[in-house]
Amino acid sequence: MKKPYTLLNKAEPYLWILPSIILMSIFIIVPIGFVFRMAFSQVTKAGLIKGFAGFANFEKVLGGAKFAMVLKNTIVWTIFVVVLSTVLGFILALLLNNEFKGRKIARAIVVFPWATTLVIQASVWKFIIDIDYGALNTLLKTLGIISTNVNWTPTPEAYFAWEIACGIFVTIPFVCFTALSGLQSIDSSYYEAAIVDGANYWQKLFNITIPLVKPSLTVATVLNIIYVFNSFPIVWTITKGDPANRTDTLVTYLYKLAFYNGKQGEAAAVSVIGFLILLVCASVYMVSTLKKGDE
Amino acid sequence: MKKIIALLMALVMAFGLVACGGSSAPAETEAPKADAPAAEAPAAAGEKVEINMIAAQYGNETADWWANFVTEFNAAHEDINLVVDVVSWNDIYTVVNTRIANGQAPDLLNIDVFADYQADGLLLPAEEWCSEETYAKFFPSFLAESIVDDVVWAVPDLASARALYYNADILEAAGVEVPTTWEELKAACEAIKAYDAEIYPWGVDMTTDEGQACFAYYAWNNGGGFVDADGNWALNSAENVEAVNFIVDLVNSGLTNTDPTTETRYDLQDMFAAGKVAMMIGPNQISKYCEQNGGINYGIASLPTNGDKAGASVGVMDRIMCFDNGYTEAELAAVTAVVDAFYDDEPYADWVLMEDFLPATSTGNELCAAADPGMAAWIDVIGSAKFYPAAKAEWADVKQGVIAVQQEVLLGGNAQELLDALQAEIAG
Repeated sequence: MKKPYTLLNKAEPYLWILPSIILMSIFIIVPIGFVFRMAFSQVTKAGLIKGFAGFANFEKVLGGAKFAMVLKNTIVWTIFVVVLSTVLGFILALLLNNEFKGRKIARAIVVFPWATTLVIQASVWKFIIDIDYGALNTLLKTLGIISTNVNWTPTPEAYFAWEIACGIFVTIPFVCFTALSGLQSIDSSYYEAAIVDGANYWQKLFNITIPLVKPSLTVATVLNIIYVFNSFPIVWTITKGDPANRTDTLVTYLYKLAFYNGKQGEAAAVSVIGFLILLVCASVYMVSTLKKGDE
Repeated sequence: MKKIIALLMALVMAFGLVACGGSSAPAETEAPKADAPAAEAPAAAGEKVEINMIAAQYGNETADWWANFVTEFNAAHEDINLVVDVVSWNDIYTVVNTRIANGQAPDLLNIDVFADYQADGLLLPAEEWCSEETYAKFFPSFLAESIVDDVVWAVPDLASARALYYNADILEAAGVEVPTTWEELKAACEAIKAYDAEIYPWGVDMTTDEGQACFAYYAWNNGGGFVDADGNWALNSAENVEAVNFIVDLVNSGLTNTDPTTETRYDLQDMFAAGKVAMMIGPNQISKYCEQNGGINYGIASLPTNGDKAGASVGVMDRIMCFDNGYTEAELAAVTAVVDAFYDDEPYADWVLMEDFLPATSTGNELCAAADPGMAAWIDVIGSAKFYPAAKAEWADVKQGVIAVQQEVLLGGNAQELLDALQAEIAG
């Protein structure tokens, strides 16, 4: 029997989502408001707001010699980690989607990097590449491939490359499992029909698998862009952005500004700039991808 | 419709993550103090006065020590309820700033810096909350490090000094004496390298955490430093440029640990105790560390100087300060009682010895020297040590600035140009 249309019925959906809205307001919107307020304020080193500063904090940040380099690092870091982890995660998902002995164990192992704390992961990577006591040098020496220890991080760029490698390693499981869930939802009749039509492996991959798994990968990519862009523990644990900001990303840079230099207004300004960049990237990517899906 | 949903999703996700990223920054901003609840009314008869303190965590035993102190203090003072939060060095600045911003400044704070709080008018002069008896125990030279506008704003709680640690066995095997000058230091490093290429002759830490100490080790022993004789910033002096170039030259000549910009003092300490680093500059706690980890045959000497220039050790001092929370007489008396109890000779000596620091009071010195004969030499060292100009408001920027300069020079930058730029930025 159809329910009578009452005010309560009309309000019911809103009541259900009310707790989420309240939680989001308290834990997301309010802190965001404070960050914006701080970005436009004169903030003392002890954290007191002494008045409206207009765009002064933004001018100082954007006029600083280091900001352009740090922004470039952040873009390189995000693109490399997101693109490579997406490609590798997708390939791994294709492999794990096949029937083979020990598949369950293999899937469980893939979760490990994701399930471990990032600080621990980064510490382990730092230990692996250490010139004096590192596992990599010890392994290669034991295998007789090298005779003396190799310095795996002779330049800041090398350090940054290792940090990117660590970022890719810890991001792959997330992409892999998102893609895997997409792969498992593809109806096998598509493949059966393709086989009847004589399609080869690559034709099935590009014409069936990728288009159908794309919505899952889109969500994974957008989330990854945001996670990776804002990632703090890997860079901080391995280099703290040193030497001379060469391996800093926006997040480690703003942390130093706030808690090492006591410039909390400028740090908040960097946070707002990062937010705007993310907002634009995520919006453009999602809109364009879903638009293509509609077409 | 999909477009709108997509935009909304992106907004929510971006908002969510930026909120997470920004939540660690202090959120509220009102000036605390005068309207804090503690200030509203004097404690009524029979009501306990609550004193809140934030203390830095120096090591594994700090929290237990404070817990015992609080228990004993509260038992001996029925009218006072002392509450001490022990916070790690990683978090203490964030915790304190957040408390200040939210109008919940602690009554007493044990930390290293004070100038930022003083600049915001948040502190009470030391003489208002420190009894004459306790005040008289401090070395005047230590108190002088906490003076702004002719007023002492904080009192020292402990100190540590730096000296040259060397592995006596390695130096003997390499046939070199303990270096006293830069020239001898470089020659000794080359001899050690020739003796065993696997050993790092000299340990250098110019990381974000403590690169300012590296700058001080060489600048102060070359007649330079952070400030001139009048106390004005003098970061680009010829002596400082020479000091930075000297240390970078040692690194580039392969006479130091491989990566001074990421290897901290603690990494060097590990390598020194393992016999991998032959010489390093470090604090007195390294002695105990070496005895507990490997037991190498080490010695301690003064920092090498450039030629016959006057030498100086690097002293580091932490402080206790009192926030101006609009106290009543009873509350201020309670604060004084806590401070007096802390600096009472026996518990104070026990506290200093617990983490192997050096005392900041004359009576504490005597007790510590009697309890640990090895400390007597260090007490002499601290007497001649120079301290960072932490009373100057620009110190945080200078500290990070000299670290960045050293790291830039290591990457090929020009020390003179970089120090000129830093001087211009700081001193205008």
